[in-house]
Amino acid sequence: MNVYHPKLTAGLWLAGMLLICILGSQALTKDWLETSFLALLPTSEQQPEVAKAIRQHNDLNNRKMIWLAGAATSREAIGHAQKLKQRLEQSGLFSKVTLEFSAQQYAGQYRQLFPYRYQLLDQKTREMLVKNPEDLIRQNLEILNSPIGQMQAADLERDPSMIFGRYFSAQNPVKLNLEQGIVVLSGQQRFWALVLTDLRDDKLQLDKLEILSGLVDSASEQVKTAGGELLVSGMALFTAHGAESAKQEISTVGIGSSLGIIVLLWATFRSVRPLLLSSLAIGSGLLAGLVISVLFFGKIHILTLVFGASLIGVADDYAQHFLCDSFGEHDWDPRKGLKFILPGMALGLASNLLSYAGLGFSPFPGLQEVALFSAIGLLVAWLTVVLLFPLLLTGFTFGHDPAILKLTTYWEEHWPLWVAKNRRWLGLTLAVFIAGGLWILTPQDDVRLLQSPPADLLRSADKIRQLFPMSPDNQFFLVSGKDQAEWHQNEQKLLMRLEALKQQKALAAYEGLSRYWPDANRQLQNYQLLQQKLYDSGLLERYMADLGFDQTIVQAEHKQFAEAEHKSLPLSEWLATADESKRQLWLGCDSGRCQSTVTLTGINDINALSAIQDLPGVAWVDQVESISALFARYRIRASVLLLVAFGLASLGLGVKFGWRGGITIMSVPVVALAVSLAMLGWFGQLFSLFNLFALLLVLGIGVDYGLFFFMAGDRRVSTSLGVTLSALTTLLAFGLLAVSSTEIVHAFGFTVTAGIITALLSAPLIGLKENKK
Amino acid sequence: MILLKALLLYLLAFGQGIAGEAVLTEIAERLAKTPIAHGDFHQQKHLKVLQKPLISTGTFTYHQNKGVIWKTLTPVASLLLVNESKLLTGQGEQAVPAAFGKVFKAMLGGDIAALTEGFSVNATDQKPSWQLELTPKDDMLKRIISTMVLSGDTELRALEIQEAGGNVTRISFDNITHPAQLTGEQEADFERLSP
Repeated sequence: MNVYHPKLTAGLWLAGMLLICILGSQALTKDWLETSFLALLPTSEQQPEVAKAIRQHNDLNNRKMIWLAGAATSREAIGHAQKLKQRLEQSGLFSKVTLEFSAQQYAGQYRQLFPYRYQLLDQKTREMLVKNPEDLIRQNLEILNSPIGQMQAADLERDPSMIFGRYFSAQNPVKLNLEQGIVVLSGQQRFWALVLTDLRDDKLQLDKLEILSGLVDSASEQVKTAGGELLVSGMALFTAHGAESAKQEISTVGIGSSLGIIVLLWATFRSVRPLLLSSLAIGSGLLAGLVISVLFFGKIHILTLVFGASLIGVADDYAQHFLCDSFGEHDWDPRKGLKFILPGMALGLASNLLSYAGLGFSPFPGLQEVALFSAIGLLVAWLTVVLLFPLLLTGFTFGHDPAILKLTTYWEEHWPLWVAKNRRWLGLTLAVFIAGGLWILTPQDDVRLLQSPPADLLRSADKIRQLFPMSPDNQFFLVSGKDQAEWHQNEQKLLMRLEALKQQKALAAYEGLSRYWPDANRQLQNYQLLQQKLYDSGLLERYMADLGFDQTIVQAEHKQFAEAEHKSLPLSEWLATADESKRQLWLGCDSGRCQSTVTLTGINDINALSAIQDLPGVAWVDQVESISALFARYRIRASVLLLVAFGLASLGLGVKFGWRGGITIMSVPVVALAVSLAMLGWFGQLFSLFNLFALLLVLGIGVDYGLFFFMAGDRRVSTSLGVTLSALTTLLAFGLLAVSSTEIVHAFGFTVTAGIITALLSAPLIGLKENKK
Repeated sequence: MILLKALLLYLLAFGQGIAGEAVLTEIAERLAKTPIAHGDFHQQKHLKVLQKPLISTGTFTYHQNKGVIWKTLTPVASLLLVNESKLLTGQGEQAVPAAFGKVFKAMLGGDIAALTEGFSVNATDQKPSWQLELTPKDDMLKRIISTMVLSGDTELRALEIQEAGGNVTRISFDNITHPAQLTGEQEADFERLSP
């Protein structure tokens, strides 16, 4: 830079940051943080109808929470549940809290469907009528004579053959024990009263999640003090736990690393100025990255923030490099310093921006967000160093010789010599180490590995599943047909297969609309079946006469049957009577396609289920599997992008320094990356898409270190200090994440640690020949 | 029947003075005390809609801890198994209001808490025979049952259930024995009730 105007550049910086602050004050007042995992996935990956089905399925499932209040007697359990219900309602988190299941709803449903009783038959009754209608009569006698028969034959006068009673009871295949209208389950030496809730939002904000966890904890405590036990499960709890533990760890690690960095920088510079300056550089970068990304994307994901913030950490290199350059000369001033380091820093920035830009070309929204966020952040942090530091570093000198300088000076002098002396066996060991590690390295893309829910949450969820096996699993079938008739036919075929699998215990239960609602054809068949087997054959008349029905009732029954011949129950009307969970199965008809989902509960043999692909119009939807597959695909894509980034950086450096120089500089990140990967392999660490962010950070930092040493010339001592300080701060900031129990965060920290240490060790080995006199 | 006795003692304690204490104590003392009871039943159901009663016969087995086996032999052989959490019939597990299943079991000496929680008791004693009239307190149960009358001497001999809808069920018990052990077949039936 020929013209050096610190005040002018600082003014420019200030104006820019003001603009960003003004933009930020508008952008950040809205709801800008996205926490849903699915938002990271590209929408184009899924067919729209599958995406719609998944959305509907998740929308329903993610909002559901199941609460079981347990006690020694059912009365106590109900008491706990009643208190719990009150609390839940007061919390305002839920749109629906259900404790009592009103008999009125059933009565209404009964009334509405009753006129169509000759069209509606459940599967078992139909089979009985087809095979041997006498069985139906026999079963009726059994029921009527049973001590509990009155309950099942309550409407004997209007439903003498009890066909509608059968259909109605088959609508609710799981028999639940009701006390005072409350579902009471028994098991595990306790009685459990059931409370079902729907959260108001399917994507809870972080603060709401915290309120929710607090509510669960205090409610559990309350029931426990009263001598009971509370079991809770729901997707939201897992999300809440994940968010909470990540937050907690990040803040613990954050405090630890901040302290470490403060101590380190204080010990080196004996001044707060460097600390404030590097914080300012990174802080400005973060702010700018955040504001611009929110303006551009509307909302950014919490993971973007975490990974993006890490990548901006590269900016620390520039700050440290500038600061440490002051050790290089006695009559140092910012002007000279900047002049010396600017070319290296510009090249470092360019190569990093190039590699981040690579991410932006992926169709993965998460990666695009990270790319923009980090690129803007890094650029602004870099500009802060270049534009603002000259003014703020005026008069910045060292009157002391920090201990760390002696250490790095010694290190810088002796380490390359030692390596050179031992290069044969070192090279061999390194090659074997890298080759072996890469050989062992196996990618793990299973999305479940990324979650680490605590054991007690899992235990609760498991207990609830045993007591109340009603919540559908993640996997489901999507059934379609060109019209209702075809859809119905397709779903019926699927349900038959599922019934067979259920008998083989491959799953506990399934739920599909066509099980309850016969289409127009089937309704006609049902009517004809009844006509042929019961009414026209005289069987019903004989049965009614034998039981002692009045002749007028017999005649009235036959008359009603004859009158109902042309009745047909449309799906819309049936759906209107059904409860929410059944209504949600229907996805509707549009543009020549009718669709529904078939939900599954208690899957034991997922392979047997996923194998049902040969049926027409049936698609198997396994989100866990497809997200995992997606992760695998994007891991590969991101790896390619990483290679492209390497290529671009090498090309750029090659143009500037010639291919030999380019290779020399690039050897630092290449070795760092290889060792990092090998370490992942040797230690059996999780290797997935998310490690690639860490590798990108390693690439950026490796290029910087390589460049700084390559261009150090006679300032190797100050360069060594700058690089060491930068590496130590990076390790403190991100390497510490390796202690996290959240898999993604841990993997990130581990990868960064391995890569940075390697880069720190290999960078001093280059740029030697040029200046060793 | 030990459970009926326990029931009486329970009523004695919590019957809110409706039944004379002395009467309940005396009735309780008269009853046979064993954990297992077995006998024949004869059931007549008078349904309003039918002009003749539904008559069935069979055997019952009561076990203090395991529940009740209600085995109908005529006119159609069938089996009903019940304990405090489950009710099985030939059609599988049944969704009946818990109150009903509980009451039925408690009749033969089962869930005392359920019975006494829900009923007010009126006892008359004409030695050696006695009669207890139970009226439900709970509104849900009132809609189903208006009264239940239990009568007996050293055993429960008869049971009459008056339903709110006007249907009446009368059951009489004969040949009551108190075996020391369940038969293999009975054990197997109870086994089906355990989860």
